[in-house]
Amino acid sequence: MLKGIHQQLDPQESPAFFIQGPKPFSRLMFFCTLSLVMMAVDARFDYLSQVRQWFSTALHPLEVLASAPNEWGRNINTYFTSHNQLIQDNFTLKQQSLIDNAALQRLATVDAENAHLRTLLAGDAPIIPQATLGEVLHMGRDPFSNIITLNRGSRHHITPGQAVVDEQGVVGQITRVYTFTSEVTLITDKKLSIPIQIERNQLRAIAFGEGKRNTLDIPYLPTSVDIKVGDKLVTSGIDGVYPAGLAVAVVTQIKQSQDSPFAKIISRPIAGVNNHKHVLILKVPESPAINQSSENRQVLPRNNAQHLDQSVVEVLQKNNAAVDPHPATETPVLDAPSSEPGAATPAVTPGPETGTPTGNTTQGNTLAPAAPEHP
Amino acid sequence: MKPVKFGTFLFTMLIGLIFQLYPWSNAGIIIRPDFLLVIMIYWVLQAPYHCNIGWVWFAGLLVDLSTGSLLGQHALTFAITAFLGLIYQRRLVLFNRWQLYLYVIFLFGVQRGLILLLKLFAGGELPDWTYGLPVLSDLILWQCMIIWFGELTRPKKL
Repeated sequence: MLKGIHQQLDPQESPAFFIQGPKPFSRLMFFCTLSLVMMAVDARFDYLSQVRQWFSTALHPLEVLASAPNEWGRNINTYFTSHNQLIQDNFTLKQQSLIDNAALQRLATVDAENAHLRTLLAGDAPIIPQATLGEVLHMGRDPFSNIITLNRGSRHHITPGQAVVDEQGVVGQITRVYTFTSEVTLITDKKLSIPIQIERNQLRAIAFGEGKRNTLDIPYLPTSVDIKVGDKLVTSGIDGVYPAGLAVAVVTQIKQSQDSPFAKIISRPIAGVNNHKHVLILKVPESPAINQSSENRQVLPRNNAQHLDQSVVEVLQKNNAAVDPHPATETPVLDAPSSEPGAATPAVTPGPETGTPTGNTTQGNTLAPAAPEHP
Repeated sequence: MKPVKFGTFLFTMLIGLIFQLYPWSNAGIIIRPDFLLVIMIYWVLQAPYHCNIGWVWFAGLLVDLSTGSLLGQHALTFAITAFLGLIYQRRLVLFNRWQLYLYVIFLFGVQRGLILLLKLFAGGELPDWTYGLPVLSDLILWQCMIIWFGELTRPKKL
């Protein structure tokens, strides 16, 4: 009878000690160890990036498949856009184009004038970056990191470290490149910092992402500093990654506490990260040739960017930061090409008061109080 | 019930991966269930002869690759969750529906908690309360799996 019962049992109903293979606990131990090793290796070394590349390329068809319904939905939506809507859009765009064209003509004139003046001063040519148009594939799938994925990758000559902007301002920086896609770390991410300037008074500082909310933090500015709510922050262009003058954020809150010499300055990014579809990926500009002067070289601050993507550092080192057009440490000399001491060293700190490069996590020890007015 | 074919298991895993890769919008991100996790845990309990801890771990690795997070994070938590599920696998069939729901919520909650711990170790920020919401959508997905592929195996009435 017992035998009969035994024969009626399904395979999955056999007691645990009949299941083939090692015990679950030993399996668990094995795989836990494996994952811990992988995590350590991935965090510290660069061995696994190839594995990542390979896998993401393999996953790409699935990604395309997964985003197909969205694409179809959008296409159908576009197809059924009403005639009136199209006419209206067209009209608005034409208007905008007229306004833009007028502005562009002025820009050409000003550009020429600017170049002329710079040659008179024997300065460097301004950096005018080239750009690639990219499309946002999806927002990050990870609630902890502010990352978006673009549909441009190493096939389109995208390299880590390139700046990403939209029509309103800076969005972030490319931190990881796959074959067909790339990841952009937004400026609100904790890992990213961006050299900025207050548009109103040219005061330089560095903004750090806060990681949690849609805000930026500007630490290490004394409470006496000239900054107001509503000030617009633009890129200062002294890191060589972001061209100067791109809008970054607007100051929304300034808190002064008794127990700290620094003001707590909170600002909100201008670029709408959650609602745009297209972004521009700027080329990292080639740095101009710099005379290597070994005298009065600065002592570089320690760079302990621990969880910074190594490739970003490499790219930053390769395309070493452009020369600060207004070095606040020395009076401008009119007959010699301005050379920044230390800029030729393979460091990611371009100037004495530029502080950390983009993406660096070092805070504070590099940021000298910025000169309120440049010469 | 009849043993599940290996192909069925692989196919559901693939479907789960596609949903995992689906570009979710802003509100969707908050309530998105962990597709692969739910599907793998279901199969670990339903068909342990096909899906063992190794498979679940591999699924976690795929999630790591798709989110671009540290390689091995999700894999680790998936494996631990699968193990916790397997400990009581023999007893699950004796649970009634509500006990089973509680147990499943516990499993998925543990997974989310572990991810949170790992991220906090790595210096992440504490997310807000909506971080726990996907556990409920996980439960809904779990119910869907039960509707499609049958209740967890019950012992036959002899």
